[in-house]
Amino acid sequence: MSLPLTMTNVFAASEKVLGTKLNGKINHSVCRWCYSKIPLDTLAQEAKKIGLTSIELCGPEEWATLKQHGLTCALPWGEGLTRSLDKGFCDPANHDELIKGFTDIIPKVQAAGYKQIICFSGNRRGMNDVDGMRNCAVGLRKLMPLAEKHNVTLVMELLNSKVNHKDYMCDRTLWGAGLCEMVGSEKFKLLYDIYHMQIMEGDVIATIRKYHKYIAHYHTGGVPGRNEIDETQELYYPAIMKAIAETGYTGFVGQEFVPSRKDDIASLKQGVTICDIA
Amino acid sequence: MKTKSDRRSVLKKLTAGAGLSVLPLSLANVFAASEKALGPKLKGQINHSVCKWCYGKIPLETFAQEAKKIGLKSIELLGPEDWPTLKKYGLTCALPNGAGMGIEKGFNDPANHDELVKSYEEIFPKLQAAGYTTVICFSGNRRGMSDIDGMRNAAVGLKRLMPSAEKYNVTLIMELLNSKVNHKDYMCDRTEWGAGLCEMIGSEKFKLLYDIYHMQIMEGDVIATIKKYHKYIGHYHTGGVPGRNEIDDTQELYYPAIMKAIVETGFKGFVAQEFIPKRPDQIASLKQGVEICDIA
Repeated sequence: MSLPLTMTNVFAASEKVLGTKLNGKINHSVCRWCYSKIPLDTLAQEAKKIGLTSIELCGPEEWATLKQHGLTCALPWGEGLTRSLDKGFCDPANHDELIKGFTDIIPKVQAAGYKQIICFSGNRRGMNDVDGMRNCAVGLRKLMPLAEKHNVTLVMELLNSKVNHKDYMCDRTLWGAGLCEMVGSEKFKLLYDIYHMQIMEGDVIATIRKYHKYIAHYHTGGVPGRNEIDETQELYYPAIMKAIAETGYTGFVGQEFVPSRKDDIASLKQGVTICDIA
Repeated sequence: MKTKSDRRSVLKKLTAGAGLSVLPLSLANVFAASEKALGPKLKGQINHSVCKWCYGKIPLETFAQEAKKIGLKSIELLGPEDWPTLKKYGLTCALPNGAGMGIEKGFNDPANHDELVKSYEEIFPKLQAAGYTTVICFSGNRRGMSDIDGMRNAAVGLKRLMPSAEKYNVTLIMELLNSKVNHKDYMCDRTEWGAGLCEMIGSEKFKLLYDIYHMQIMEGDVIATIKKYHKYIGHYHTGGVPGRNEIDDTQELYYPAIMKAIVETGFKGFVAQEFIPKRPDQIASLKQGVEICDIA
């Protein structure tokens, strides 16, 4: 062969790690909701077998189960309005209830040994980018002293507003980075969801390189369709994982695709394998 | 033969690896399969072309011979002076150039219209005589113009060319370029805008060049966009993102899935490799690019 077919080599190499041990460059997590038919206890056992060290988007009611299996929760979520995607920090009318909710959950997150909690911008409802950003900053800043005290980072998710979450405000990395600057605390960062951002803006690696200091978490998903992240979709995840590792990222990457094949655990294992760069 | 035995050993390793795994790593399978296409014959689902400018140092004669070896049917973005060389080697020119006022001065500015119309009307008969059915064109830079004004201007200018385009059976193909990294201020930088312009012109003789590299930089969502707008697309270009180099594992797009989506739209035109080879053996990089896109 006159040239190395390196995509092949990457996968040949990654096959060797199937089973026993992962490479350790990426900390692997998985989102609970994509496997909702599987009891958490079973999912935890399967996740451990694959080599995952976290199951995420779990609330306080589920943390005990994770602990039982020696798993962490890389990105927990809270309760009530703090878990709402469409009613978030961009609307001042939600601030009192959100502040109350996060004030309640942040110490619990710390007590459980976790370091982050997810939050959302909420829907736009006709609001412009700058007003929404300012509103978010005003609400989030009130929480920063508590977040700092308990060493818990609020991580706002970037979602697509084209297919899955019409009207959601935090739908551009640029906007999220602006909000991070406005809040001005290391305890507020972004969840760069590769699936959602590929739908909204593309240019994944360049965007990660440019804005990584604002990013505290990553999610995966096949584009289009949000299914397996394999050859059925347009992104080459190993190259993206390499770029993430190169930014010095030490957090987690959470698999957040909806398995389309019957054996969802096999799909999860495949997703982890694809992202487990050497 | 060295080539064949190396290929066999790679396949052997792959097979061994696959035997150990619990699930089929089908990305590996795709590439194992694509290796079989190495050498004389490609699969015929994709018509392969390449942009000459990415191989500027290689003389066209040499390049044509190498392209033929790989199985390419076309070398493109070449003007009338180079067409005889292509013919000599039995190659077509899937997307010729040779008319217009460059990338920055295009149809969005009415001040360019007279010159553009003259230039394209001069090349139409030459294209037809050479047996070519397309020619590239550009929107030009924005220079403060709004999307709709630019679209309207471009439509006015291009509509003047449609009767002769129809007469000579030539489709004007406007390229979508990124305005973020390579072509700051270029107007036709969104598929949606290009599709709008196609509707405004309302002729089958005006279509878009969807450049996968440029559009991944500008908007992402490649397969969904191709599915939505394919009826306006007359040509495709490739390129690794970021960097515009090889389209392999060094970049973020998985081209075989994109090629599959293009074929599924019923596309019969050409896909041209338009990446700038980073490795010293540029022809090997071109071959690799073609293999990656040569889906079964």
